Amino acid sequence: MTRLVQSEWTKLLTTRVWIGLLAGACLLGGGFAALLTAFAGDPSSGLPPVGTAAFAKLAFAVAANGTVLTLVLGVIGMTQEYRHRTATPTFLASPHRGRVVAAKLVAYALAAVPFAVIVCAVTVLVVVVYGGARGAVPSFSADNLAVLARAGLAMVVYAVIGVGLGALLRNQVGAIVGALVYLYVIEPIISNIPTTAGAYRWLPGGALQAMTATTAGPDVLGAGQGALLLLGYGLLAALLGTLLAVRRDVV
Amino acid sequence: MRVEIRGLTKTFGHVRAVDDLSFTVEPGQVTGFLGPNGAGKTTTLRMALGLVAPDRGTTTFNGTPYAGLPDPMRRVGAVLETAFHPARSGRNHLRVYCRAAGLPVSRADEVLDQVGLGPAGRRRAGGYSMGMRQRLGLATALLGDPAVLVLDEPANGLDPEGIQWLRGFLRHLAHEQGRTVLVSSHLLAEVDQTADRVVIVAAGSLVREGSLEHLRSGADAEGGGTVLVRSPQSVRLAELLGGDGVAVEAAGADTLIVSGLTTAELGRLAFAEGVELHELRARTSGLEEVYFRLTAGQEQFAAAGPDEAAPSPSREVAS
Repeated sequence: MTRLVQSEWTKLLTTRVWIGLLAGACLLGGGFAALLTAFAGDPSSGLPPVGTAAFAKLAFAVAANGTVLTLVLGVIGMTQEYRHRTATPTFLASPHRGRVVAAKLVAYALAAVPFAVIVCAVTVLVVVVYGGARGAVPSFSADNLAVLARAGLAMVVYAVIGVGLGALLRNQVGAIVGALVYLYVIEPIISNIPTTAGAYRWLPGGALQAMTATTAGPDVLGAGQGALLLLGYGLLAALLGTLLAVRRDVV
Repeated sequence: MRVEIRGLTKTFGHVRAVDDLSFTVEPGQVTGFLGPNGAGKTTTLRMALGLVAPDRGTTTFNGTPYAGLPDPMRRVGAVLETAFHPARSGRNHLRVYCRAAGLPVSRADEVLDQVGLGPAGRRRAGGYSMGMRQRLGLATALLGDPAVLVLDEPANGLDPEGIQWLRGFLRHLAHEQGRTVLVSSHLLAEVDQTADRVVIVAAGSLVREGSLEHLRSGADAEGGGTVLVRSPQSVRLAELLGGDGVAVEAAGADTLIVSGLTTAELGRLAFAEGVELHELRARTSGLEEVYFRLTAGQEQFAAAGPDEAAPSPSREVAS
């Protein structure tokens, strides 16, 4: 199993996909942090001014935007085996396909940790430097660090979901487009229709909200529950994917 | 390590791709796995290696199915298709599978040199020629120094020099190193000089199994041999030859193809009747002909012959 995890890391680091995704996640985190800082305290924006605890939480939480990119990282990690037909040598090296999926889950969860640390660091750096220039450096209170840690954890869990989704769908473009449409079109609709809004907190987007929301919003779960629910979605997808899709003939 | 294939059967939709196929591959020999395109060769190899689940039947390596082999890459090496991540270098591709099999990554450089791909190892595999891809596939199979090598159409895309090299390489692996080598091809000529034994399949079923020598001798015993005779008096000669068990066929203005007579019998007859001969020789049907006859009409997507093709002036007809 350790061998297979190492093999996955070698796969990950010998193409440049991760560089692009990491850069994208840093751009999202840092960009939103800069935007928030720029309009902090502006009455028309409704944002709290720099230096307040509310602002620090809000600004640190934008690191969670990186989740969409760790999701894509996980999806690519799984589906590239089918897209580039390397499933053949991979399953020859490890005929037990469930082990391959399990190794990918572990490998991508662990790889997402430094990824998340870097995205969080960039976000914090932007808030500190830009916020400092605008008058106040945010405090690194336990509360604020907890917001940051939850954003980082969300990125790790989304990488696991990506691997699971990739195992279930096998088609790279389909899995990525499907995930984006679901997260940015379908879930917002569900959460806005009164009859289905109650279900939102049990859905992946609602669970992510539970992990990273800093303001009182829609009725969501606790942060820990949200993280477990998301992890459950990822592992369930991986299990179903292994049973239904990955075990199918590789022709 | 002996490979035993027993009763493999696989149906895709309504197509019976492989039908109750059994054969054994022995160590120390190169076994050619022959059949026209669509005969079920690739499906058979994929079932043997656990990539495709057979409807029925088993494949074992010294008694153990592929999925049950401890460290399968150290036991069996397979080249099934030449697919790599295009952005990854050949060397890194090999390192991925070194890690998966628990082999030292230095094996990657060793096998690259072994297949003559050393200098290209650091280039992206996406830029490789077809021949280089075949070599990288072979290098992947050799990583674990396996006792069994399974190769699916390895000569595809190789230039003549590469094919020559591959033949020598496979013979060396089998004859000098005692490995089990199973190599599939749709062209007899490709395995003719390499294989010790052949297994011929058509439409998913076994049609012939044995040594090439055996197949060659069997070919003539089946009456494939004919005699070609050329004479300016071919019409008269044809009348003389007509008789029980003798078939005469005109093949041009002065040429006859005769079956049922040896060259000696025909020559004696012509001499006795004073017929002038310009040529007299036996036409033993070659191995290629035997192979063609055994698998004739079994192509899954047989093309119409030139005469049967629709009369369209621009149409190209596969021969």
